[in-house]
Amino acid sequence: MLFQIQISRMKTSNVIWVGNYSTVVKRDPVLHWSWKSELPLECATHFVRMRSRVDDAKIPEPRFWSNWSSWKEADAQKSLGRDPLFLFPKDKLVEEGSNVTICYMSRNQQDNISCYLEGQQIHGEQLDSNVSAFKLNKVSFIRKTGTNIFCKVDQKDVIKGIVLFVSKVLEEPKDFSCETQDFKTLTCTWDPGTDTSLPKRSSQSYTLFESFSGKKILCEHKNSCNWQVDSDSQEMYNFTLVAENALGNRSVSVLFSLTHRVHPKTPYNLFLKNVSGTKATVTWKVHPIGNYSTLLCQLDLLGEGNVIQQHNVSIKENGEYLLSELEPDTEYMARVRCADANHFWKWSGSISQKFITAEAAPSEALDVWRNVKSVSGRPTVTLFWKPLSKLHANGKILSYNVTVENLDRLSGLEVHSVPATANGTELTLDQDSYQIHVTALNSAGPSPASVIVVSGDPGNEEVEEERVNGTEDGFSVSWKPQSGKAIGYVVEWCDHPQDLPCDLQWKNLSSNTTSTVISSGAFRPGVRYNFRIYEISTERMAYLLEKKAGYLKELAPSDNPQVVVSNLTSHSFTLSWKDYSTDSQPGFIQGYYVYLRSKAEKECHPGFKKATLPDKSACCQHRIDNPEQKTFVMENLQPESVYEFLVTPYTSAGSGPLDAFTKVTTPDEYSHILIRIILPMIVCVLLIMITCYLKSQWMKEKCYPDIPDPYKSNVLSLIKSKENPHLTIMNVSDCVPDAIEVIHKPEGSKIQFLGASKSLTETEFTKPAYLYLLPAEKNYSGPGPCICFENLTYNEAAADSGSCGHFPVTPEALPGQPGPLTSPENLLKALEKNYMNSLGETAAGEASLNYVSQLASQMSGDKDSLPANPPEPVLCSEYKMQMAIPLGLASPPPAENSGLSSTTPLDQSEHYR
Amino acid sequence: MGCPLALCCLLTLLLPLLTPGASMSPAERISQAYDPALYMRKNTSTVLQTYLQCQGSPLSDSGFSAPELQLSSLPPADISFKTWHALDDGEHLSRVQGPFLALTQHLQLMGNDQRDPNPGSPILLAQLSDARLRAQGLLGNMAAIKAALGLPTPPVEDTPGLVPFGASAFKKKRRGYIVTGEYGHWPDRAMRDLALLKAKYPI
Repeated sequence: MLFQIQISRMKTSNVIWVGNYSTVVKRDPVLHWSWKSELPLECATHFVRMRSRVDDAKIPEPRFWSNWSSWKEADAQKSLGRDPLFLFPKDKLVEEGSNVTICYMSRNQQDNISCYLEGQQIHGEQLDSNVSAFKLNKVSFIRKTGTNIFCKVDQKDVIKGIVLFVSKVLEEPKDFSCETQDFKTLTCTWDPGTDTSLPKRSSQSYTLFESFSGKKILCEHKNSCNWQVDSDSQEMYNFTLVAENALGNRSVSVLFSLTHRVHPKTPYNLFLKNVSGTKATVTWKVHPIGNYSTLLCQLDLLGEGNVIQQHNVSIKENGEYLLSELEPDTEYMARVRCADANHFWKWSGSISQKFITAEAAPSEALDVWRNVKSVSGRPTVTLFWKPLSKLHANGKILSYNVTVENLDRLSGLEVHSVPATANGTELTLDQDSYQIHVTALNSAGPSPASVIVVSGDPGNEEVEEERVNGTEDGFSVSWKPQSGKAIGYVVEWCDHPQDLPCDLQWKNLSSNTTSTVISSGAFRPGVRYNFRIYEISTERMAYLLEKKAGYLKELAPSDNPQVVVSNLTSHSFTLSWKDYSTDSQPGFIQGYYVYLRSKAEKECHPGFKKATLPDKSACCQHRIDNPEQKTFVMENLQPESVYEFLVTPYTSAGSGPLDAFTKVTTPDEYSHILIRIILPMIVCVLLIMITCYLKSQWMKEKCYPDIPDPYKSNVLSLIKSKENPHLTIMNVSDCVPDAIEVIHKPEGSKIQFLGASKSLTETEFTKPAYLYLLPAEKNYSGPGPCICFENLTYNEAAADSGSCGHFPVTPEALPGQPGPLTSPENLLKALEKNYMNSLGETAAGEASLNYVSQLASQMSGDKDSLPANPPEPVLCSEYKMQMAIPLGLASPPPAENSGLSSTTPLDQSEHYR
Repeated sequence: MGCPLALCCLLTLLLPLLTPGASMSPAERISQAYDPALYMRKNTSTVLQTYLQCQGSPLSDSGFSAPELQLSSLPPADISFKTWHALDDGEHLSRVQGPFLALTQHLQLMGNDQRDPNPGSPILLAQLSDARLRAQGLLGNMAAIKAALGLPTPPVEDTPGLVPFGASAFKKKRRGYIVTGEYGHWPDRAMRDLALLKAKYPI
């Protein structure tokens, strides 16, 4: 039967859909047919009617339609409650990108209703006075909790809403394939794509269907499914994978032969056997696939992550392969994977195993070089060698052996063992030649020996140094062969020439090489590198061939020399910087600039030219082109002027800093004269003063002694010349004193006179005291009179009390004395008389009463003390006479005409001068 | 940091339930209940924020408020000051116990509602669970205070009554909004009641 169905909305005349439905009708049938409305049925009344017709080819035409049935009304609104506002559909699930129609129904036509989709107002179509519909096109997924659509009645607290659950699109499974590892199970895998799960709705499910067998299974996982192979009879398989969720399904199919989908299992039991330095045997096992299957296995040998060797091996169950051409003491990895040898489908998983080959003796001789120097007169050889590379060491180096053989004398070999951590050693030798063998040892044996011959004679070191230019690539060094018998050359340099040790480097070159480029990461601009090129003779002796020096890049000097100013005159001075080393500068010193500036002079001296300093100030510049000239004379200067100078070296890169000028002030023109005259004079005066001071005693004795020597007195010479040429002076030694009486008591102390008990008070001794030498006996008959020294402390009472008879002058002794002896003339006369009496006329009995005294000079600072030595004749002494007068004789008034009339009493502290 | 602290508070809240027979003075009981209530009030906004982040517009819109939305099964916490001040001790406690019982049930319902749409939001589910336990703890504290005060402790009336399990997703979201909103109000009311009692029964 064929049924024609009509659906109307709102009213029967508004037919919105017409469709046919064909089915086989049996007896008492209850037919079911469904129709899905875009507009939620709750929002509008729908009507449906149908008619039918026979739809059987057996029944001939014409076939007529039946009459239409009556309209059946579907009105969901009746079941709604009394809420003022309804929104439909509720909790609808749709696929992302589909179109959805929603509607609201209001109870009150007067209400103003606005609707929103995720906060954005949406506008719909009014279907009725109280029904509106909104069509949402291509809805998108926002969140798993759904997309909120709500409507609210303005001016009323009414909000109604629905949640639209938007599901992700169900994708077709990708990369669908099936394979077997054992011909028992087929494993099908695929990429499921996006998860379409939603609240209360699980994700998509997968079903696997095989068309040849007609079997179907529900897969447990979202991306794989296992299919049991029943028997060997089925060769071909046609699988269909169906992905399905609440909104639809997607499917994909694959057709294949089982034998073409063999994916072997991962091999196992991979072992390395008989591992030597260069060979190793690899063994492994595979899981068998059927009875007649053969597997193709790929064996990879990896070193440091890279495949070094690759081998293919066909096996049934057990695999074995001999790896060769391996490096000793090297870590490798053996890796094996297998595939079906007949129909390659996929490699199995890989199994791998690391192993290390055994050590072997080092394969290459060490690169050895030497440095010969003299320590305490003995040649000391420092050997250097470069560690062997891993490729050549063939194992861990345990130590180095250094064997020393004397080539000039027969002597035993010296063997030194050097720890593996060292890269050199030092040997102290003598002047003989020595052949040195150096080998490296590991657990497998020694390396080939490296031979070098050294001699105590350093050879010709006087080789002129040449310059070499540095470039970005390094130093291009070339040399001229000398002997023509060289077996090679060595270029030697220091990476860090300013350090100690300087990190000696060398480069071996073949005999047919005459140039090379020396490069090093340690090279720095502004550092002077010295290169020495040696020729290696057939005897393996190194001879210095050439010396080179250069800079990778010359820099301007960073420091200026320390300049000493000398020979400063009013018109010139000399600058010298002899301590400045040109070898340790950041470039080859080409010369010096001498800068001079002065406020007094505006023009530059000859040889100078004007220059402008960085601070824009002007000065004069003189250029010295000879780097070895380290003195300069500044001439033609003005006296008493301030000059500022600066000496700075320059290289090809520029000159040194122009900042620290030194000030020099020229002296005036006469200062040097003053210095030449006045200074010596001052020195002479000082010398004289010092001499006088040191010889003061001698001068005193010579010029003004305390006790003059009568023999040297001018008085004597005067007397002699005038009167008696035979007149002599009494010698002190001729006088034999019997007592010494000291009557001087300074500063209040009492003095006891010899032979007298009477003491004198201080006030009585304010005058100079006199010391008397008295004869021991009154009958003394010595050859001359006694000597009496002037003493300002003389006292007549003391004189009286003493046994010494002070020689009273007899009246005869002073005959015709015209007056007192106070005048020099009188004194002279009196002295003459006394001398005459004492030396010639005085009798022995009378002589005891007369004393002649030498008067101490007043220049003497100490008149109170007695001279330690007997008085000696002094030429320039002044000779004086003094006489002691008894109290009785002195008391008479001076008017008496007596021999003592000219004498003054001593208690009056008077004495003659 | 927050988790151990929350666990500690929960233990404090549940302690009275575990030791119902412990003899404590009313003041001690009130003081014991006050601090957890204070902590509970400080954390109510966190639950609301987490919940709204998962729901979408209009609930998550900034400034969204729907004071008209109410649940008949969950009374509002608002009360006139005059009425509140005239309550005696027993009424202060009783009028809080009922809504808190309703809160615990709605929080449980919310957890069920959100478990399906938010399987990937364990944070929200954990916060809802913690909130429910805190509410239960406060209920226990209230009962203990009443017992300490010598007040009758009849079974709390089950105010929520029928729960509309067949609600639409939007209604569930809205219901959760109301519950989390009231959960922000009732602890404040309870804390004020306890503060009043605390002042009345000083230690």
